[in-house]
Amino acid sequence: MAAPSSFLLWSYYGHGWSRVMRYCRLPGLRSSWPGGPLGARHLSQEKRATETHFGFETVSEEEKGGKVYQVFESVAKKYDVMNDMMSLGIHRIWKDLLLWKMRPFPGTQLLDVAGGTGDIAFRFLNYVQAQHQGKQKRQLRAQQNLSWEEIAKKYRNEEDSLGGSRVMVCDINKEMLKIGKQKARAQGYKAGLAWVLGDAEELPFDDDKFDVYTIAFGIRNVTHIDRALQEAHRVLKPGGRFLCLEFSQVNNPLISRLYDLYSFQVIPVLGEVIAGDWKSYQYLVESIRQFPSQEEFKEMIEDAGFQKVTYESLTSGIVAIHSGFKL
Amino acid sequence: MVPAAMATLLRRALRPLRPLQGRPGPAAGVPLRAASHGAGLLYPEHIPTSLLQKALLAAGSAGMALYNPYRHDMVAVLGETTGRRTLKVLRDQMRRDPEGSQILQERPRISLSTLDLGKLQSLPEGSLGREYLRFLDVNRVSPDTRAPTRFVDDEELAYVIQRYREVHDMLHTLLGMPTNILGEIVVKWFEAVQTGLPMCILGALFGPIRLSAQSLRVLVSELIPWAVQNGRRAPCVLNLYYERRWEQPLRALREELGITDPPCTSTAWPRP
Repeated sequence: MAAPSSFLLWSYYGHGWSRVMRYCRLPGLRSSWPGGPLGARHLSQEKRATETHFGFETVSEEEKGGKVYQVFESVAKKYDVMNDMMSLGIHRIWKDLLLWKMRPFPGTQLLDVAGGTGDIAFRFLNYVQAQHQGKQKRQLRAQQNLSWEEIAKKYRNEEDSLGGSRVMVCDINKEMLKIGKQKARAQGYKAGLAWVLGDAEELPFDDDKFDVYTIAFGIRNVTHIDRALQEAHRVLKPGGRFLCLEFSQVNNPLISRLYDLYSFQVIPVLGEVIAGDWKSYQYLVESIRQFPSQEEFKEMIEDAGFQKVTYESLTSGIVAIHSGFKL
Repeated sequence: MVPAAMATLLRRALRPLRPLQGRPGPAAGVPLRAASHGAGLLYPEHIPTSLLQKALLAAGSAGMALYNPYRHDMVAVLGETTGRRTLKVLRDQMRRDPEGSQILQERPRISLSTLDLGKLQSLPEGSLGREYLRFLDVNRVSPDTRAPTRFVDDEELAYVIQRYREVHDMLHTLLGMPTNILGEIVVKWFEAVQTGLPMCILGALFGPIRLSAQSLRVLVSELIPWAVQNGRRAPCVLNLYYERRWEQPLRALREELGITDPPCTSTAWPRP
């Protein structure tokens, strides 16, 4: 299974953003461009510079993208089941907390990157729908006399049940998007939802487009995290918010040992028994260890240009929500 | 808070797998992912596991195999994680036998790439090779569907269990059993008596759980006693160098091993 060497991006968007971009990325080009004359010393430095981690393995940067793609291609079908098994259902609470922190209002434009199976997107849609309905109820109660237009609109069901909110789910992996679309169809989510194939390091969107950018459990799989952060900064509107939910460093030593024990002993076994895939889940737990700590990541976010960057550790630091604003 | 004895016990159970501490020691102590190019791995597909992981794998795979009988990979994993002692006994038995020790030295593999299908096709009717090919065709199976060994921490034992898996189809041919669930259970009983592998014993005992009453009756009254008798009487089937016996008539081979004809033909078998 060779990694694809070019990525085609389409945007399916029901409302008018019908730009189709054909983007071909050559793997050799982007990673090692020191910008100076290449002497012998530069060559060896360059070689070291293009290596990165894949879990505890060392691979070249070009390889990493392909290997990560293969991991998620093979886990896609059992992704949600395995999430529930591995976190004992707690991942749902984490994602709910992310939404509550976001507090979207009707009219918010959300970009959910690495959002493959749609967990964040569906929660967002539920939230804004509930909010919008609440607002409508309050309006009804407040003013018993509605205008004739409003009454007519209600009868025609023309009102947008989401109040103008839209969510765009972007993922680099076709399999994950496929599963997400299947879920959406099964659970009846249609309005306000769009699915785009795209790379977090080079998003297929214009500048200043979104109110909120989220990336849940995705950024540790990106080869160049700084580029993903820069892209996030680019596509957000001024005043927009960056939110990242990711595994982080545990602050309590006892819990840390238990967590390591559980991660390395139990999770690959679960992966083998339930999904028939030991190695993908080994990669998953190793990639968590390779991700920077809360403070380090906060600094990386600040480097990308975000301000008022804060983080909140959940479950003793097993996960953390980082938040920043483009001001 | 944890008593010192328990702590040492726990540490010993986890010893082969401590990637964060990078403790030097046997091959399994090396950080797993650093072994991407074979350093620290005993064979290409090897995944070093700790005692705790093996226990969890054994329990999990047993449960999953019962829950979903189509997960053959789970049966394989169960065999690998529970069979260490038995595999050693089998390996020693093979070493003592002249044909078996040859197999251990030459390490033949049965797969579509190593079999000469054309030659097998041209063999006379009734020979082992021809009957084996017929068995593969009739049941629409291929020798390539066996998953490679991963969790055995000894390279020779890994080969022994791989050989056992590849010989499984041979046993079907020798015993004349089809690949439906009834046939598989009979072969499992034969293998359980022959090899003593815990996975075979568990499979033989728990396999019949999903059978109908009629099939169970046939199984218990006729098929199992026949399989056990033949298993006891025959020498260890892993010691047979099948690749050298393709021309041998099946009937003669059965006589050599003391395997009698199965009690009833497959057409008379009730539907499981």
